[in-house]
Amino acid sequence: MTAPPATVAVTVRDLAKRYGRRVVLDGVTLELGRGVTGLLGPNGAGKTTLLRCLATTLAPDGGEVRALGLDPADSGERVALRRRLGYLPQDPGFYPHFTVFELVEYVAILKELTDRVTRHREVRRVLGEVDLADRAQAKVRRLSGGMRQRLALAQALLGDPELLILDEPTVGLDPEQRMRFRALASRLGESRTVLLSTHQTEDVAALCERVIVMKDGAAVFQGTPGDLGAVAAGRVWLSDRPPTEESLFWRTADGRYRTLGARPPAGDPADPGIEDGYLLLLGGSSEREAS
Amino acid sequence: MTWHPPRDLVERYARGRLDPVLTMSVESHLARCPACRAAVPYEEEWLTASWERIEDLVDRPRPRLATRLLCRFGVPEHVAVFLAATPALARGWLVAMAGVLGFAVAAARLSAQDGPGAADALIPFLVAAPLLPLAGIAAAYGRHVDPAYESQAATPLAGWRALLLRALAVLCCAVALTGAATPLLPGPPGLAAAWLLPALALTAAALALSTRFAPPVSVAALAAAWSGAVAAGPLFAGDLLLAFSPGAQALYALAVPALLALVYLRRARLDPGETR
Repeated sequence: MTAPPATVAVTVRDLAKRYGRRVVLDGVTLELGRGVTGLLGPNGAGKTTLLRCLATTLAPDGGEVRALGLDPADSGERVALRRRLGYLPQDPGFYPHFTVFELVEYVAILKELTDRVTRHREVRRVLGEVDLADRAQAKVRRLSGGMRQRLALAQALLGDPELLILDEPTVGLDPEQRMRFRALASRLGESRTVLLSTHQTEDVAALCERVIVMKDGAAVFQGTPGDLGAVAAGRVWLSDRPPTEESLFWRTADGRYRTLGARPPAGDPADPGIEDGYLLLLGGSSEREAS
Repeated sequence: MTWHPPRDLVERYARGRLDPVLTMSVESHLARCPACRAAVPYEEEWLTASWERIEDLVDRPRPRLATRLLCRFGVPEHVAVFLAATPALARGWLVAMAGVLGFAVAAARLSAQDGPGAADALIPFLVAAPLLPLAGIAAAYGRHVDPAYESQAATPLAGWRALLLRALAVLCCAVALTGAATPLLPGPPGLAAAWLLPALALTAAALALSTRFAPPVSVAALAAAWSGAVAAGPLFAGDLLLAFSPGAQALYALAVPALLALVYLRRARLDPGETR
């Protein structure tokens, strides 16, 4: 695990949450600073629950959260925090009969933009940020999946929040839109704290300064993308034949086998990548697993 | 161009103190003379704000019918936009509410008879009317009924302010519809209005229970309790209208402020980020 971020915007200590008997968050401890942080983890690792606790839409059962100097457990500070955060949920619902403009305006009202002229200007600004300005009068039900995802992102950007929490923001985006999203997210991360969950290790490699890996309700790694790749140093191999031992491997485009873990017969060492480190962490066999 | 308007004339134009003829004359010159145009004094902030207002006026979408109606009743524009998105105030809900009321009124009129049994014909209406705002509140705000709930829950207006605003809107709508149906009922007018206090009490109780349970759960429990209370009258006291008697009405009247006070005290618990 590397040093904590230079400027800490969010601190989480021993966060716990359970649904009935199922433990979803099991003592999560982490820190977030300015810039873009990626949250990686398999389905059911607790990413969405963690993001919901940080976005103040779910109360944890235990532990502490401090975001932008505010304690969301206190009702007054929670409202103050909501004024400064933007949240894109994993499953952002919409009113299908609304137009794009109406939906974003509706959320703008919930964000206390009561003056009509100011509100409309802000709605136009965020629609421009996600390239939906020309679809402002389109009904939400007529939008494609990618457009809906951009619409959801637009509402998260309202009010120029200092803390942005994005749950799988690139789902449904085509490659060009993903590139645009990366450009937008990295620009936002220059002056804000952005936390985004994703299954895409390439998104993390492309735009995140830090990465957190979650597994079974706990943060098992925190560091830079380079640190995550280093978890697999000396444990990535390329061979012409599949490994004989039980280990994680796959056939690459050039016909060779990429193996993670023990060296296969006649295996050549290969440069580790983020995905290698991530997969080894999830495999639970990493000797360098970070706490 | 040999003639230029004198400076004091331009200043008076900028202040809007010229008569229409001189204004047109100066404006036509300014349109053709960049030097004079640049010399017109103006406040940049005022000009920017004015342009924004004009741009918004030209470009803004036409408000929805519900928003326009609410604004006409004096509701602030941003509150009207918020309320117009209430799922329980959607056209389908309003039609369903009107349908239930129409059915109850028709049933009352068809079964109306003279004599001491005339009041019994009102019972289906009196039982159903308080349940209408309850059903509306169950569908007004919450994770399972509002598709955009999760996005809303992270905003400053989330929680008690959003729920109470929407509950109030639903209650007003249900009371207006039921009130409009009441004069169509047969029987004594006083009895026909006996649904109002139970409706208010049940609504307040639903909000109070929602500080502990999800609104749909609270509403379902209260609907069952209300049906049971109405049925208990004839079963245990031999009085079909016991739940609407003066004594019961006094009880509802006392319960409403007490329950509302409880809602106020526990309002923080209506927040999705609060432990219940």
